[in-house]
Amino acid sequence: MDQTKRPLHIPPEFAMYAEKHGLFDMYKQLIEQLIINRPEDPIAFLVDLLNRDTLDVPQIMILGPPAAGKRSISKMVATKLRCTHLTPENLVQEADPKLRDQIEDLMAKKATVPTEMWVSALKERMKMFDCVKKGWVLEGFPQTREQALALQELGIYPKHCVVLDAPDTVLIERAAGKRVDPKTGDVYHTTFEWPSSAEIQGRLEEGKGQNEPEMVEKLVEYHRHSDAIGRCFASSIKVINADQPKADVFSQALAFLQSQPRSNSPQTPRIVLLGPTGSGKGVQASLLANKYNIVKVSCGQLIKQAITQETKAGLAAKPYVEKDRMMPDGIVLNILKERLCQLDCQTRGWVLSGYPRTREQAEQLGKAGLAPNRVFFLEVPNDSVIERLTQRATDPVTGERYHMLYNPPPTQEVKARLDRHPQDQEEAVRKRLAQYHAYVEEISDYYLDAQHVIADQDPHTVFECLESMTVKPLPKRY
Amino acid sequence: MAAVLPQQSNAGTYTFASQPRAVKQRKKYRDPLQQTEVGEEDATGMYGNIMYDRRIVRGNTYAQHTLPAHAQPDPIEIQRQQENRRRAIARKRAKDQLRPRSPDPVEGRKHIDVQTELYLEELSDRVEEADVECQTDAFLDRPPSPLFIQAKTGVDIATQIIEGDLFDFDVEVKPILEVIVGKTVEQSLLEVMEEEELANLRQQQRAFEELRNAELVEQQRLEEQERRHREEKERRMKQQREVLRKEKETAEKIAARAFAQSYLADLVPSVFGTLSDNGYFYDPVERDVEQGFLPWLMEQVEDQLERNQHGRMVLDGMLREVVAKRIELYRKLEEMAPSQGPGSHSASAIFGDKLSGELAATATTTESEEGEKPAEEAAEQPPATEGTEEAGEAPEQTPADEEAPAADE
Repeated sequence: MDQTKRPLHIPPEFAMYAEKHGLFDMYKQLIEQLIINRPEDPIAFLVDLLNRDTLDVPQIMILGPPAAGKRSISKMVATKLRCTHLTPENLVQEADPKLRDQIEDLMAKKATVPTEMWVSALKERMKMFDCVKKGWVLEGFPQTREQALALQELGIYPKHCVVLDAPDTVLIERAAGKRVDPKTGDVYHTTFEWPSSAEIQGRLEEGKGQNEPEMVEKLVEYHRHSDAIGRCFASSIKVINADQPKADVFSQALAFLQSQPRSNSPQTPRIVLLGPTGSGKGVQASLLANKYNIVKVSCGQLIKQAITQETKAGLAAKPYVEKDRMMPDGIVLNILKERLCQLDCQTRGWVLSGYPRTREQAEQLGKAGLAPNRVFFLEVPNDSVIERLTQRATDPVTGERYHMLYNPPPTQEVKARLDRHPQDQEEAVRKRLAQYHAYVEEISDYYLDAQHVIADQDPHTVFECLESMTVKPLPKRY
Repeated sequence: MAAVLPQQSNAGTYTFASQPRAVKQRKKYRDPLQQTEVGEEDATGMYGNIMYDRRIVRGNTYAQHTLPAHAQPDPIEIQRQQENRRRAIARKRAKDQLRPRSPDPVEGRKHIDVQTELYLEELSDRVEEADVECQTDAFLDRPPSPLFIQAKTGVDIATQIIEGDLFDFDVEVKPILEVIVGKTVEQSLLEVMEEEELANLRQQQRAFEELRNAELVEQQRLEEQERRHREEKERRMKQQREVLRKEKETAEKIAARAFAQSYLADLVPSVFGTLSDNGYFYDPVERDVEQGFLPWLMEQVEDQLERNQHGRMVLDGMLREVVAKRIELYRKLEEMAPSQGPGSHSASAIFGDKLSGELAATATTTESEEGEKPAEEAAEQPPATEGTEEAGEAPEQTPADEEAPAADE
């Protein structure tokens, strides 16, 4: 390969393929497992790992003080994410019989169970098929920093760690009402979570150790260790306030669990901004392009450029624009493809605003190899849109743009000579809004990974929101 | 059957249901030449005059015996016939009875029938039968018409020509002969010329053929050359295509490798980063300090503090004892000398103050001890192994603390 005669040309399909399949993260996990397990035959081990296809399973730890609701939240998470639910109790029950007897002995004598026993029981349990295939939710373990460090030494670490936190008084109050169903192990509460069936009600018994002095003791012990354990899992921890209704806690926990950790994989942003007219697509696109040095592609502007430059596609598009009718998809797609396939767009990335407008256009964009990896819907209520658009005007003399509410003209003189764009009339705006709402449903169905952003705020706030969603990896959908 | 042709109906005339046609006559002999085909119409049938046709009824018809309209005989007719029959039988019977018979024979005699005609006839029961057959002749083809030889008409006449009458052979024959010979010679000359011409033609043809062959050979040679060139070109092109393909593949491989290298450039650092974030890599010295040294240190500190505690407790005890003994002594002194006056009172009062002061002092020392220990505990938060030990200690200490003030009081 010669730099001059035959320069190295890396086709962009490589980058898209790598991004689509998450190759970087996959390799990262493979190498991590390799380092942790250190097998004799690394290739066979890697092949086995890939065949098992378990690199994406959830590995969650849920910690918190007693009576914080760990059991309920863990069960809900386990059912939602379809993974196994591990607690210290069922770890003991499902452990090797010899080990189990030892542990039960020690627990009966109220002596501390040594860390090695816990850890070996956990290791054995995690090697079992269902943990490997489906992932695990570990509740209420580790309880001391020593246990946490022992787990880490073995290479068992959670991808997400949820800590439920609540003030002590709330917990003590809650503990008084706690009831346990001995058959299923579900936890109910006299005030907050009373079971509906009378049969379960009859079976319920009080949880052990729930009276006040015992609770105080347990809380003291928890607080002694909680900080230390938290520092062990600092990279993947999130503290959720448990003093809320269960549904709220669960939704917050789920939102956290769906987020993926920041990945170091290099990626070129291909962003599509969709939204009704006046939602600020152009503004956001400019901000994104400036900050991240990506190419700003505006569909409307491209068409106008093509028409003025009288390219082949421009000439084809001209009659439609003159008659102010919708253009056939083919012409628009050609113009866009021409621009987006150029080298600077491919290497730096692009942000596209105002396209696609229908599901077919979206499908064709995908087929042309230009599928976006971030799609944002800027949502603004209709009244806001009308307010934003009908109030804006330009000063013909200086060329400055003003808005009656957000950026009023400085003097009366300027205000008198302001001119408004005919397209900013309310009728025209309403027509465009109706057009937008006609197609937004089907496009959101097509782009399942799209994120909806409330755009009814200050542009910089919206920009920060978009930024964070661009830079962070897409949350997993359950 | 002639086809029924619909006729135009004019006003006044009536139409036939079927077209009237002449009745055909059948020939006597079968025409051997005519092929018999079913349904063929005999367009030129023989027609006969119906006036002379025997099949047609002549005369008036009202006296004719016609067949009854329907095949079934009239029941009246049947009845009448039956009656007639019956009457005929009855008549015959009556007649038989009325017939004069010869009287019965006398006894011993028999009547014999005798023929009295002129010629005797043999009568027998058995009726002589004779079968006679008669057969019409088989259908004869129409015999061929006899040859028609016309009767001779005309008169026979003969005549005779003698030699020398008509022509003289030797004179007449010469010109004919000349002409014949001349023609023959001419013909043969022509033939010879033709032959020569043919030979010339053939020679020319041969020459031409040779030229042509030569050219053909040349052409084939050129063709061969062309074919070889083409094949060579094809081969070279294929080779070149192979080379290009290999080059493209190589370029792609290199591109892939370069891409992979750049894409995964950050892989190993990020792997190690993640692992160390998650605590898989840890500083062994730090770990050892945390897990080995600090617990030992805490234990030693605890021991020391316990020892201090014990020491103080012992000292407290001793002081208490001493103070108690002194109180006893002074009380006894007071009892012994109650009149000593306010001096001793004040002394005892001062002593009492001193006592309470000492008690307070011991109390404060123990309190300051307690103040120290929780401070130390708060300073050293993560002694994990001490969790259980300290838990054991804390309740131990609190009863110890509770004991001391209780004992003091």
